Amino acid sequence: MNHEETQLISRCQQGDQEALKEIFDRYQKKVYRIAYGVVRHREEALDIVQEVFVKLFRSIKNFKGRSHFYTYLYRMVMNTAIDHARKMGKQFISSLDEEGSFEPSEEAGKWPERILLQKELEEKVKSAMEKLPAEQRAALIFREVEGLSYQEMADAMECSIGTVMSRLHYARKRMQELLKDYVGPQGQSGGPSNPLKEEGVR
Amino acid sequence: MTDSCSSVSKLLEKYFDREVTDKERLLVESHLQSCLTCRDTLMSMEGLRTFIKAPVEEAVQQEDFPWVWQKIDREIRSQEKGSWWQSLRSWMGLSPLFKKKVWIPAVATIATLLFISTQVIFKKIPSYSERSVVEYIESETYNIMVYESEKTKTTMIWLFDEEDQESSRS
Amino acid sequence: MAIRRGGSRIIQIMKRIFLILLFVFPLSLLSASLSYGQVQVRLRVFEASNVGTRIDSSLKDMRDQFKPLVDFSSYRLLKEETPTLYLNQSVSSPAHPGRKIELTLIRQHKNVADVRVKIQREEIDVLNTQVRLSPGRTISIGGPKHGEGVIIITLSAQF
Repeated sequence: MNHEETQLISRCQQGDQEALKEIFDRYQKKVYRIAYGVVRHREEALDIVQEVFVKLFRSIKNFKGRSHFYTYLYRMVMNTAIDHARKMGKQFISSLDEEGSFEPSEEAGKWPERILLQKELEEKVKSAMEKLPAEQRAALIFREVEGLSYQEMADAMECSIGTVMSRLHYARKRMQELLKDYVGPQGQSGGPSNPLKEEGVR
Repeated sequence: MTDSCSSVSKLLEKYFDREVTDKERLLVESHLQSCLTCRDTLMSMEGLRTFIKAPVEEAVQQEDFPWVWQKIDREIRSQEKGSWWQSLRSWMGLSPLFKKKVWIPAVATIATLLFISTQVIFKKIPSYSERSVVEYIESETYNIMVYESEKTKTTMIWLFDEEDQESSRS
Repeated sequence: MAIRRGGSRIIQIMKRIFLILLFVFPLSLLSASLSYGQVQVRLRVFEASNVGTRIDSSLKDMRDQFKPLVDFSSYRLLKEETPTLYLNQSVSSPAHPGRKIELTLIRQHKNVADVRVKIQREEIDVLNTQVRLSPGRTISIGGPKHGEGVIIITLSAQF
């Protein structure tokens, strides 16, 4: 944590809202990225950003500087986003299993139809992520969306690197199972071979 | 799946996440040159990452965060207005008294005071027979007689004109 | 999930209970005090005489109460009101021509109300008394001449 950020945090701890504004300007996109990665809904993600910074202003006195500030902030974002996602998930009706919509189009032949409306695919990804346990979902977002290293993830999630890797592994595995008709070799649009299907056969 | 696949596959994710050592990277890259399966597995991971990340990046690029800071500012200010409650909560949270858990006897004291005060407030008033119904009575015009009947719960204050008294005496 | 931290739930619950008790205690005192300070009374003015035998039906119970002291053959209701008395606020009502009755709630505690009764004739106090009203008790003030009979004023409280 650089000196400038340390000073900002200190001012914020003393109730300086200008300092919070500066922190907000620095981190708003990162916070939004994580929030959107979890909830996949613009208005919800903006609500989460608002809630996180209000919470931050209230709780920043508890930040002792023993970890990086961004891991403290990311932890707060992830907890808030997952809580929102849980509330949203209760209203979410369709699911991958219920719809059974991964049956390939008959017109496409043996392999799945790879041209989907972006929105429909988004819904599938969102639905699949909601099926992941909170820890695995967090690991996936931190890694795939935010690009944190294993060490940074371990700091944010307060666990070991081995646990981070395990959560990532199972999250990816589960997501590939749930999206097996869509996830394939990049660049191929419904090619004759689907390595995951072949993996399943083995 | 060959033997080298089974050993390299454990490193594939680390390699994909660029968390491998130089030695591990060389091992994986040399294996990938001859193994289509592992290459396809890597590409599947890349595909999954694209599905997860691309919409997020697009959303972040398009977002201009309208009024977000204003809402945050307003929320913080409205919470500060309720500060008597917040400061009481923070007092409860930070008070060394609560840290020492002295609130247990404090609760007991409050409960005792509550019990005593309700006894005082709702204590029985003296029964009717102990207190007179007519506290005082005065008249410059009439002579007065007060009659009380416990049986009928009636109190009669009778006012006599002086003329009546004189006529009755006579 | 190692991400989430939280304090002891039991301590939070106990703190809340303490807060509730802290506010309930003065509120209970306040509500107790607010329930006092007003009483509704029933004021009746009637003429009692030995002319005729007509007794208004609402007054039949009164006749039995008066019998030990006075026994008139006729009781006629002139006026009935049910004003609400508030602490230290006087309420005036004409009793019968030329007279006015003024009631003031002096004190109230649970089901007992101390009421000052003043009867004035031409702005002069002809009677000044303080009586205690309780459930089921009637205060009667009678005697002043009216026509062929006398005026009787009855006062009771509705708790």
